Order: sequence, then C-alpha cells, then structure tokens
Amino acid sequence: MSIRVLVADDHTMIRSGLRMLLEREPGFEVVAEASDGRQAIELAESLKPDVAVLDIGMPNLNGIEATRHIVQKLPRTRVVVLSMHADESYVLRALKSGARGYLLKDSAESDILNSIRAVNEGKAYFSPEISKMLAEDYMRQMQQRGVEDSYELLTAREREILQMLAEGRSNKEISSALNLSLYTVETHRSNILQKLNLHSLPELILYAVRKGIIS
Amino acid sequence: MLPRKPALFSSRNALLAGFGGLLILLVLSGVDSVQVLSSMRKSNEAIRREFLERAARLERIRTAVYLSGTYARDYLLEPEPERAEQHRAALNETRREIEAELAAYEGATHGEDRAALEALQKELADYWRSLDPIFAWNFRERREQGYRFFREQVFPRRMEMLTIADRIAAVNARELTAGDRKLSQMFANMRGRLLIVFAVTLLLGIMQAAVSIRQTLRLERAAARHLEEVTRARTELKELSARLVETQESERKAISRELHDAVGQSLSAVLFELRNLAAALPPDPALKSHLETTRRLVESSVSMVRNMALLLRPSMLDDLGLLPALEWQARDVSRRTGMLVNVAAGELPDDLPEEHKTCIFRVVQEALNNIAKHAEARTVRISLNRERDHLLLAVQDDGKGFRVGEQKGLGLIGINERVENLHGRVRVESEPGRGALLEIRLPLAETPAAARTL
Repeated sequence: MSIRVLVADDHTMIRSGLRMLLEREPGFEVVAEASDGRQAIELAESLKPDVAVLDIGMPNLNGIEATRHIVQKLPRTRVVVLSMHADESYVLRALKSGARGYLLKDSAESDILNSIRAVNEGKAYFSPEISKMLAEDYMRQMQQRGVEDSYELLTAREREILQMLAEGRSNKEISSALNLSLYTVETHRSNILQKLNLHSLPELILYAVRKGIIS
Repeated sequence: MLPRKPALFSSRNALLAGFGGLLILLVLSGVDSVQVLSSMRKSNEAIRREFLERAARLERIRTAVYLSGTYARDYLLEPEPERAEQHRAALNETRREIEAELAAYEGATHGEDRAALEALQKELADYWRSLDPIFAWNFRERREQGYRFFREQVFPRRMEMLTIADRIAAVNARELTAGDRKLSQMFANMRGRLLIVFAVTLLLGIMQAAVSIRQTLRLERAAARHLEEVTRARTELKELSARLVETQESERKAISRELHDAVGQSLSAVLFELRNLAAALPPDPALKSHLETTRRLVESSVSMVRNMALLLRPSMLDDLGLLPALEWQARDVSRRTGMLVNVAAGELPDDLPEEHKTCIFRVVQEALNNIAKHAEARTVRISLNRERDHLLLAVQDDGKGFRVGEQKGLGLIGINERVENLHGRVRVESEPGRGALLEIRLPLAETPAAARTL
C-alpha cells in the first residue's frame, strides 16, 4: 500500500518536479497538487491524504496556517513543511503549527523520500542541514554559557521516554511499549518538560534534534 | 544670500551718514551758540565800559566848567596881582583840561551826539571869548564891573554849557540803550539760528529714525524668513533622510523577497529537474559526474541566494515578527563571532508598526556589528520590553568599553538617525574597561500599521 501524498507549492515547476520524483519511487502516490494554502486545505479535506507536503510561502494562506488547519481537521494526515528557509525560527513555527517534518527545498532526494516515510510512521524528520545547524547552535550555546547540560538531570527512563515522545509516539503507545501505566507516562512527561525548561511538544522535539536524540 | 550683501553695505553707509550728519549738526550748533554767547558777553562789557567812561568824562567836564567859573570869579576879586595871576593860570589849566577831555570824548563817541558836542564846543569857545575882556581890566575895573559881567555874561553861558552837557549825557544814555538793543538783536539772531538748527536736526533725526526703523524691520523680517527657510530645509532634510531609510528598506525587502521567492524557488525547481534528469538518463559515469557537479553548483547557489536574502533583510522580520528576527540575528552573530548573544523580550504588542520593527532590528544589527568589530566582548545581552507607551531596547556588552562622546562612529550616527526618525531617544553608557550599554527608547505610534506576521 503506497503513501498517498498531497503536494502544495505556488511554483508549478517545483510541484511537477516533486510529483515526478515521488511517482518514480515505488510506495508513493501523489493524489493532488495545490497552488495555494486554501486549495491545499480543500483538497486535503476531500482526499484525506496520508502526508501533505506544504510550502511555507504560498499566496492566499501560507503553509503554516494551512498546516494548522489540516492537522486540526485531519488527525491522520501528517504534514511535512517544504521550505527555502534554513532557520530555527521557521522550524519551531512549523512544529508549533503541527508539522512533524521540516525539509529544505535543496535537500537530497533521499531526504525528501525519507521525510515522507518518517512522518507517515508518526515520527519527526528534519533535513540533515537543519538538524546539524540546530545541534551546533545548541552545543555552542552550552559551551559559551559554561552551564551544566540539563539533560544530565534526566533519569534513564526519562531519556527513553523523551526519545519516544520526540519520535512522535503518543502517551498511549509509550505506555504499552514500556509496560507502564498511562498515568506514569504522563508524570514522566511533565517531569521531563520541567527539568528541561520546555513548554510544549514542539519545543521538546526541537530539543531532541538539538541534542541529536533524533535527526 | 549673496545678492543681499550690497544692500547691507549700503544700509550701513546710510546709517553712518545719517547719524554722523546729526552729530555734526549738533556739534556745529553748539560751537556756534558758545561763540555767539561769548561775543555777546564781550560786546555787553564793552558797551557798559564805554558808557561809564563817557559819563565820567562828561562829569569831569561839568566839574571843570564849574571850577573855571570859580577861578574866574577869584581872579576878578583877588586884590593881590600875584595871586590873581595864579588864579588866571588855574583857569587856563582848567580850560586845557576841558579841551583835552572834550577831544577824548569826541574820540570815544559813535557820532550820535556829535551835534550836541559841536554845540557844546561852540558854547565853550563863546564862553572863553566872553572871559577874554576881563584879563585886560585893571584891579579897579575888575572890582566895579566884575559882578555884573558875571551875572550877565558868564553865568548864562555856563548854564547853557551845563544844559548841553546834560543833553550829551542823555545821548550817552541813549547809546547805552542802543547797545542793549544790539545785544538783544544778536540774541534774537542766535535764537533764530538755534531754532532752525533744532528744526533741521529734528527733521533729520525723524527721517533717520524712520529709515533705521524700516531697515531694522526689514532685516528682522529677512532674518525671520531666513530662519524659517533653514528650519524648513532641516525638516525637509530629516524627512528626506527618513524617506531614504524607508526607501532603502523597502527596496531591500523587495530584492530579498525576489531573491528568495523567484531566484531561490527557480533554483530549487532546477534541482528537482536535475534529479529527474538523473533518473531518466542511462547510467553513464561521465554523465553522472557532470550531473553531480551541476547539482552541487545549484545547491551552493541556493545557499548563496539564501544568505544574500538574509543579509538584505531577513524574511523572519516580515514572516514571523521582530523577536524571531532578533533571535536569528543573535544566532547568526554568535555563529560568526563566537560571542554569546542573548535575547530576552517581554510582552510585545502584536501590532507593532512595521517601521518600529525595522528600526529595532536594524539598531540591534548595527550595535552587534559595532560590538563585534571593536568591543572584544564575550557576552552581549539584548533586552526588549514594552514600557507603557514606549519600547525599551537595551544592548549591553562586556567588552573593553570606551569614553562616551569620544567615539562617534558611523554606526552610532546611523542608529541615532533611525531612532530620531521615529522620535525616539538614544542613550549610550560606557567607560573604558567596563563594557557598554546602548539604550533606545521608542515611542509607540497611536495608530500602528497592520503588521503581517505568520
């Protein structure tokens, strides 16, 4: 069963390039192309794709807002943001709007395919350039500040749960995988956020990328 | 400005001539008055002196005439011939005295009493002649006819002479009055001249005052106009500079967007096409290596375009807002310089006007540039907060610092200009060895422009 993909970009060349790339590969099926955010939402609602690949800078409704709508209305559809912007602020904004993948348009072919496969499985995925940049910035900051890494404060169990959360697993999946009660997982989760001074799942995912826990 | 100079010169000349003329007039009239007064005093003295002199002479003539009568009588009555001769000698002496006085009087007179003087001289000659017979008489004749002769001849003539002398005295008095009249005439003349001089001075003064007032008012108006022009020019310059900054910013924004959206996207599309081309072509190693080279070139072009766009104006500023843009800037500077750059922001208004966002961003950018270039700092703390109706930005570094006022680089001038365009204030605090603080206070506009954020 192939992954049903919606492609949204105001650039026709990029849309068709992406479509050719995906259709050449077994296991992918491009079900629709949209040229702006509003059209993307409409098509997603009617076709219910597995993965929506959205450009950030689109007319009518930008990719971030479109992501927010799609994630809200279609919980089963995962979103990969395809962007020209290689900066943390865009990544965080994309994560906060509900996207789980962040791809640069000049990423390698394999990264494009991998990102769609990963988010389809519920995992987070970032272009290697992005992961590298985030990790480096984080390392440098830690070095400059000369403070203890708060990661050291986490217990082994908490680190395990942190990784699973960052990979996109739900509390329920984690509780059954680790044989813990749902309540215990929730307690662990809030402890992790508190120890790392994080406030949301997107921030946790970003943290995990910075730490190199996920890529 | 230049063509106005000759007018200023000529007005100076006019003022000099006017006031100089007035002064000269006043001095001349003063000198004239003093001269007239002193000559009046002199002629007054002369008139009085001459009058007294003539009166004294007349008095002496009168006395001598009386004495001559007495001497003549004594001569007639003296029995001793020797004594009689003495009386006659005294009489002759008196006669000479009278003639001398008369001659002196004639020299001192101004001619008005000449007729009376001639009458007196004639009467005197008659008098002396009437006396002549008595010297021919012997003692008996003198005793017998003497008294009658006196009564009939000498006394009436003497009386007549005295009457003439009185007339001369009256004339003398009239001459005094004439002198007084001359004096008052002189005085009247002087008063007339003074009046004329005063009138002329007054007229000239009024004219001068009118000219001066007009000139002063004209200069004042010109100065006011000039000031207005300068003020307007300065305002225009400020507006121009603000517009320049605005234009520059909007152009940067347009070019940045164009680079990002058009060039970047096209290059990305080229990358997709290259991938598809690679898949469609036969697996030839030479072709593959060419394709690989091309792909690398395009990839590096994409990142170049991305960096150029960020350098011109970071897209976060327009897409995500001020804080993400500042955070990107902090990361970027940190990456390039190794300084720790920290951004801390409080609650900021969502509808922050476009120009305020741009201003704060550019100020931070400039400040970080300056710090990176000169300060040798390890840490930079940027804080941005809202304080009622103001935005408060502070950029603090722990570098080597400087003496405030000594350093006025182009960076600080640019910062000042941007901030002043939005009616804000810049404060710099630093001391050598103690880092530096740049503080910006930016008033928030009443009607903020709608901000476009994601």
